[in-house]
Amino acid sequence: MASESQVAPEHQLEKSFKKEIELLSLGEGQTFHGEGILAITKALLQSGVAYVGGYQGAPVSHLIDVMVQAEEYLDTLGVHVEACSNEASAAAMLGASIHYPLRGAVTWKSIVGTNVAADALSNLSSPGVTGGALIVVGEDYGEGASVIQERTHAYALKSSMLMLDPRPDLPVMVRMVEEGFRLSETSNMPALMELRIRACHVRGSFVCKDNIAPPISTRHLMEEPAKFDYARLAHPPVTFRQEKLKVESRIPAARRYIAEHHLNELFSGRRDDVGFIVQGGLYNSLIRALQQFGLADAFGEAEIPILVLNVTFPLVPEEIAQFCLDKRAVLIVEEGTPEYIEQEILASLRRLDINTPIHGKDMLVAAGEYTVEVMAGGLEKFTDRYLPGSAAQDGKVWLRSNTARRQEIAQRLRAPLPARPPQFCVGCPERPVFAALKLSQRDVGPTHIAGDIGCHSFATFEPFSFGHSILGYGMSLASRAGVSPMMKRRVLSVMGDGGFWHNGLLTGVQSALFNGDDAVLVIFKNGYTSATGTQELISTPDEDDKVAAGDKQQSLVHRNLTIEKTLTGIGVQWMRTVHTYHVERMRRTFDEAFTSDFNGLKVIIAEGECQLERQRRIKPWIAGLLRAGKRVVRVKYGVDEDVCTGDHACIRLSGCPTLTLKDSADPLRVDPVATVIDGCVGCGLCGENAHAATLCPSFYRAEVIRNPKWHERLLDGLRGSVLRRLQAA
Amino acid sequence: MTFAERRPVTLLICALGGEGGGVLAQWLVETATRSGYSAQSTSIPGVAQRTGSTTYYFEVFPVPLAELGGRKPVFSLYPVPGALDVLVSSELLETVRHIGNGMTCADRTLVVSSSSRTLTTAEKLQMADGRASSEELLKVVQQYSRSARIFDMSAVAQETGTVLSAVLFGAIAGSGALPFSREAFEQTIRQSGRGVEPSLRGFARAFEIVAGGHAAQTPASAAAPAPAGLPPDLASAFPVSTHAMLGAGHARMLEYQDRDYAGLYVQRMKRILAAERAGDPLGERGFSTTSETARYLALWMAFDDIVRVADLKCRASRFARVRREVKAQDGELLRIYDHFKPGLPEVAALLPRTWARVLIAWDRRRQRAGKTALALRLKVGVHTISGFLALRFLASLKWLRKRGNRFAQEQAMIERWLAAVEQGARSHWQLGHEIALCGRLVKGYGSTNDRGKDSLLHVLGHLAVGGQWDLPQARAEAIRAARTAALADDAGMELDKTLAKYGAAPLPVKAQPIMWVKKRRGTTA
Repeated sequence: MASESQVAPEHQLEKSFKKEIELLSLGEGQTFHGEGILAITKALLQSGVAYVGGYQGAPVSHLIDVMVQAEEYLDTLGVHVEACSNEASAAAMLGASIHYPLRGAVTWKSIVGTNVAADALSNLSSPGVTGGALIVVGEDYGEGASVIQERTHAYALKSSMLMLDPRPDLPVMVRMVEEGFRLSETSNMPALMELRIRACHVRGSFVCKDNIAPPISTRHLMEEPAKFDYARLAHPPVTFRQEKLKVESRIPAARRYIAEHHLNELFSGRRDDVGFIVQGGLYNSLIRALQQFGLADAFGEAEIPILVLNVTFPLVPEEIAQFCLDKRAVLIVEEGTPEYIEQEILASLRRLDINTPIHGKDMLVAAGEYTVEVMAGGLEKFTDRYLPGSAAQDGKVWLRSNTARRQEIAQRLRAPLPARPPQFCVGCPERPVFAALKLSQRDVGPTHIAGDIGCHSFATFEPFSFGHSILGYGMSLASRAGVSPMMKRRVLSVMGDGGFWHNGLLTGVQSALFNGDDAVLVIFKNGYTSATGTQELISTPDEDDKVAAGDKQQSLVHRNLTIEKTLTGIGVQWMRTVHTYHVERMRRTFDEAFTSDFNGLKVIIAEGECQLERQRRIKPWIAGLLRAGKRVVRVKYGVDEDVCTGDHACIRLSGCPTLTLKDSADPLRVDPVATVIDGCVGCGLCGENAHAATLCPSFYRAEVIRNPKWHERLLDGLRGSVLRRLQAA
Repeated sequence: MTFAERRPVTLLICALGGEGGGVLAQWLVETATRSGYSAQSTSIPGVAQRTGSTTYYFEVFPVPLAELGGRKPVFSLYPVPGALDVLVSSELLETVRHIGNGMTCADRTLVVSSSSRTLTTAEKLQMADGRASSEELLKVVQQYSRSARIFDMSAVAQETGTVLSAVLFGAIAGSGALPFSREAFEQTIRQSGRGVEPSLRGFARAFEIVAGGHAAQTPASAAAPAPAGLPPDLASAFPVSTHAMLGAGHARMLEYQDRDYAGLYVQRMKRILAAERAGDPLGERGFSTTSETARYLALWMAFDDIVRVADLKCRASRFARVRREVKAQDGELLRIYDHFKPGLPEVAALLPRTWARVLIAWDRRRQRAGKTALALRLKVGVHTISGFLALRFLASLKWLRKRGNRFAQEQAMIERWLAAVEQGARSHWQLGHEIALCGRLVKGYGSTNDRGKDSLLHVLGHLAVGGQWDLPQARAEAIRAARTAALADDAGMELDKTLAKYGAAPLPVKAQPIMWVKKRRGTTA
């Protein structure tokens, strides 16, 4: 590898938020250029937030990652940042705002994170907040989503929380954060702000304000706690009054504020006998759909008036009524199911005896993401009915031709194209475990496998296809409690260290031990919550160990024994730690766990540090060694193409992206042969698999030594001359 | 046309996780901002680094911001199918995936795509060749684009020592679809700070390929290796169309064993040719049964054993190839370790029949007793003198091979297959051809090799020779189906299904040691 070619990928991999932190400290009048989620982060500081917490997960990981790294700067403002152990602990953190005039913000991935946080959220919403409380949720919905498709909106409704859904324009998003805090304080309701994936990643700009150091902060501590006030507990009998307060005073206060400060935006249009009501987040798509029909111009000037709901709960009935009154029809553009907003509008108009026809899910598709094209399909129905002839013909032609073209190509390709799901990274320490599991299943037969959330869920894809169920983060061991008593063979539960600390320790391990269950649990101890962007955990190897390690290439997770000590402490009696790249040993350990006489909980700790993190550490280290002219050994595996017969059994046991195929150079062979391409990090799995599964003898391990020592060079010269002579003979 | 009637230029970028798409999107917006245009990007980044599909979407309004009188264009966060100006993609299958989703249309979209493939797991894990045809994919690209610029972006990135994002950036700039100058693009790279020079090189190369129209409409396919020559006395005995394969096969026999063995190969091939001539006297089918038999017969006769592998592993050409593959530079030392795990069957293969039987029977008894099969985990450093000599010693055991138990077994099985090909070829050309193609089932090592031969012999016994069939075509069809099925999965599920469909017995189940799982039972119901 040329030294230059190493520079660029290194630059890519390095996870540092230096530039982002600079953006956070911009002052009044300066322009921020960057992604939506970072703009939200900046807006928190502009709003004088005093504490921030959260649990990582796409698409909002960035918020908490940047905040954690910006600790030094935040300390100058007196802002406290907490990397919470799960969403419940993040939500509970907002409890500070019940009594104290502190602005707090937390973030997580929704719907899943909100589900985990639900208990705390209910208990927060009932007493209500004094200081503004903002929950920034990444609405992981539609293309690119990795979770079940449900709406966070339901939580706002049931717990009486505000729901903000800002128009995806950076100045509006920033304003809604600032208004969100004020609205929360005015109404005593915590506020949810939902940001869809594309809005989190949208790049734009806004003009900044100065950050506000909160009046009460880690630099300005409170002298005394609040006076005891039973009314602020989520405890009977005050909970009954709190429910009344929600309806009688909090929601009305919120409505007044929303209306007075024009949080919802009304865009007028020439044809004002019809109209659209749209969730703020969907505004841009609606405009583009209208543009396709010639009903809006490039600047969003539309023929038809649009009411943009930047706050989707509570709605302001007067605002809605005024908009709908005297219109022939209104279309509500609301993504996902159930259509809560549409139902609420229908109910409130009916009560006011306004009989404007309301359309929504009857014209737009009920389920799934509202892309521009999907939205255009609904708009066509609406305009055909209420504004016949107004939608440009080429818009209609466009819609038809899309459908026709797709069908044509599908027919032409005959079979659907092979999918490309995400997979284990090159050199991932989890891949060997599933290779070993595949081999073990040959010994003991197929087992029921309770899967979990995390990188290891990629084992559900080819070539492994492991996992019968995924019940939530850290839930694998708990989710087998009903299966294993009914099953002749033992059940395997798979869990990452992220899931273990998120809640697997309590819901799974504690419960299995308490009930004396016969269970097998494999914990992937890779040291980080890797799937969410390698955030650190309590069991992450210490920075000191990383600095002290002579060989930076080695896995360092064995230096932190928090998981092992915790398991021993809680009473686990059967525990085996296996380095994941030892496939044969891992296989035997699986076999043992599945057949052992021990009938309690058996835990296998599959130890191997996340390869992404290792590469971040290795690349600058190697570059430094090379710059200093020091000895470096680079390992790469390869396949001898004349020995490989093109059976691909090695691929079915690995799936590594760098183990792939190429045409055989042998004119006799028709099938492609295996090959290892550039990017191989020399993890050793190919060799381990070749041994453990008795694969073909075509794999070799090559060690390339740069800047060798003099005696190595001498030995190599001697060997070379002897070998060359023998080869010539 | 007023500004308001103008529409944004729309650009969809498809990349795989870890290719730097996020950096690319940032670069595009920075270039637009510096050039004085209003622009927006967004993305579905997928799971970074994990090589799943990712997309980035960019829009720019083609009128400078200063001329808009303070008005702000509203950009879409979604790419709109059929309303794309440019589709840029780093991988050919992904290009077609998005075309298949309706993204491009022939009257508007310029497609800039890499011709390179990153194979999906589903394509890689097939036992035969599961790769999508690039030729077919390219045809789709041509048909559903206004114009297509296709070149190997991975190769450009590699040659210029940079990452794909820089190459993609150059390709976008070179397409001329965006209203920014080349200098503006390059300025963005300079400002990014690190890896600037290689990035600029990759950018420039891609820019010139796309702007200069050097991008091929279809990439050049790799030249087929020249076939080995057939000795003149043999050439006259076989039709010209079979020479390439026979030449390669004949050369393989000489290299694998000796002249006698090559002679046996030719003799066998003459039988097949005679049979094919009987079924197809005019050679209307180009003697492809003979050619295909020549192929698979050569591979089977040169079956891989310890001797063969050792020979291949210690050749000078192999050392050079490894050095090339791992890109070891001059002055860097190379150490090569080979992973072997020979078991008793591999050793027994070289022993005379009686000895081999005793040894294998003993190994089976051990396994029945719950012990693992005896096999030696070896990691041999062939760069060392001792390692090399060990392999050279094994490679010198060619003489033993011919006397060994496996040699006799293989020849017997080869004869059964050849007899079936002969018999089939005489009765009906198609039938002979299908049986010949079944030679593809025999590959791999150890149990994989055994499984392939079991499948082949089973198909021969139940479909090629046995069974009641009215028409030879129907028989040929059944064999074709069974062959395809045998390559569908390594558990033989598809093969059994297909066999059942044609009324043939399933593959006999092989005895396998089982581990009993002990489990404490609760109260019995």
